[in-house]
Amino acid sequence: MTPDAFFQFSGPIAMTGWLALVLSPLIPRASQILAGIIVPVILSIAYTALILAHWADAPGGFGSLADVMALFADPPIALAGWVHYLAFDLLVGAWIARTARREGIAHLFILPFLALTFLFGPAGFLGFMALRATFSMGRQTAKDIA
Amino acid sequence: MTLSIPARQGDTINLARVWRDAPAFTGMAVLTSLALVPLFAAMALDVRVFQGDNVWLKPVKFHLALGIYLFSLAFFARYLPRTMINGRAWRVYAAVVCFAILAELVAIGGAASLGIASHFNSSTPTMVVVYALMGVGAVTLTSASLVMGVGIWRNRTTMLAPALHLSIALGLVLTFVLTMIVAGYLSSNNGHFVGVPTTGAVVPILGWSREVGDLRAAHFVATHALHGLPLIGWLAVRFMAPRRAVLTVWAGAALYAGLVLALFNQALSGLPVIG
Repeated sequence: MTPDAFFQFSGPIAMTGWLALVLSPLIPRASQILAGIIVPVILSIAYTALILAHWADAPGGFGSLADVMALFADPPIALAGWVHYLAFDLLVGAWIARTARREGIAHLFILPFLALTFLFGPAGFLGFMALRATFSMGRQTAKDIA
Repeated sequence: MTLSIPARQGDTINLARVWRDAPAFTGMAVLTSLALVPLFAAMALDVRVFQGDNVWLKPVKFHLALGIYLFSLAFFARYLPRTMINGRAWRVYAAVVCFAILAELVAIGGAASLGIASHFNSSTPTMVVVYALMGVGAVTLTSASLVMGVGIWRNRTTMLAPALHLSIALGLVLTFVLTMIVAGYLSSNNGHFVGVPTTGAVVPILGWSREVGDLRAAHFVATHALHGLPLIGWLAVRFMAPRRAVLTVWAGAALYAGLVLALFNQALSGLPVIG
């Protein structure tokens, strides 16, 4: 399979996981199994295979920004990098949904941060951490007053 | 956290109560303020300039202003009737106001990231719609001060000195009325200037033009009525007999509105606040 054909598949696979997370209040267990295990495992198998097959021939390295850029100029390695994003962003999304559920944060509040994590990974994580901090601040203070 | 503010003799004001009285406004105020951390970081990294300032300066200003607004509303919520803040209608309304503020900040931040104008932008059909929606959001978020002002006005169980009670209610109502007048006109203008600045001289921190009329000065003072009037009320209660204090608050409100209209008129005449 060419990297381009592989790329075409990777998006819809990841989207399945994100869709499950959006619907997670309806399917709490199934969404965690899908977005937290099945989809990341599939993507991780693809990633591992790409690295095993192409790492040895890849240009560049991790030593400098120029090396990393040279590394990502290689299509199979760039694809591996992309799949890495997809897998780990989804894992963070699943963790956000799980954590919000455990801490009693309504699903509506995490939807913008799931979208942000899907688009800009760490920005969504940062936003969710701020949301969590806000909720815990409110709960703690409410407890102190009572 | 409790802070000793002699609203009445020997009374203290519990700031932590904002979480119980207005959890949505308080939570939103905290999130709006926390977002300043990545915004300041972006301002340090980004070299793009919009109308002479770093592109991120405007989002920073709006996050600060709306954070202060939300926290102020959350604070004054303690003077609303219990039945009102425990009711479903109020909770839904507070959520709508928070959503309007979020949408406003996303629009302003998004425009900044693209390096384009958020207000007064009619360059593309999309931006025309965005600007119109921002107007709806701005009226919605400002309406919270009117709703709260009226709610506090009609609440006879606040335990506040009459003059202070009046000043809080009047301040909130005036914030809405004066902001609608000034910002309403401002939004229909082609920008916040009346005239064309040449040197770019501005008032420090506040950033208003020192060359031409700048409608933002009147907007600023109008919107801060919810702070200015209670300050007058608090001072009046401290230093005057009750009847006199109430009269002082009414006179203060008239003067405050007069000051806003004078600043508005000055800007419309193309004159700067400070030359």
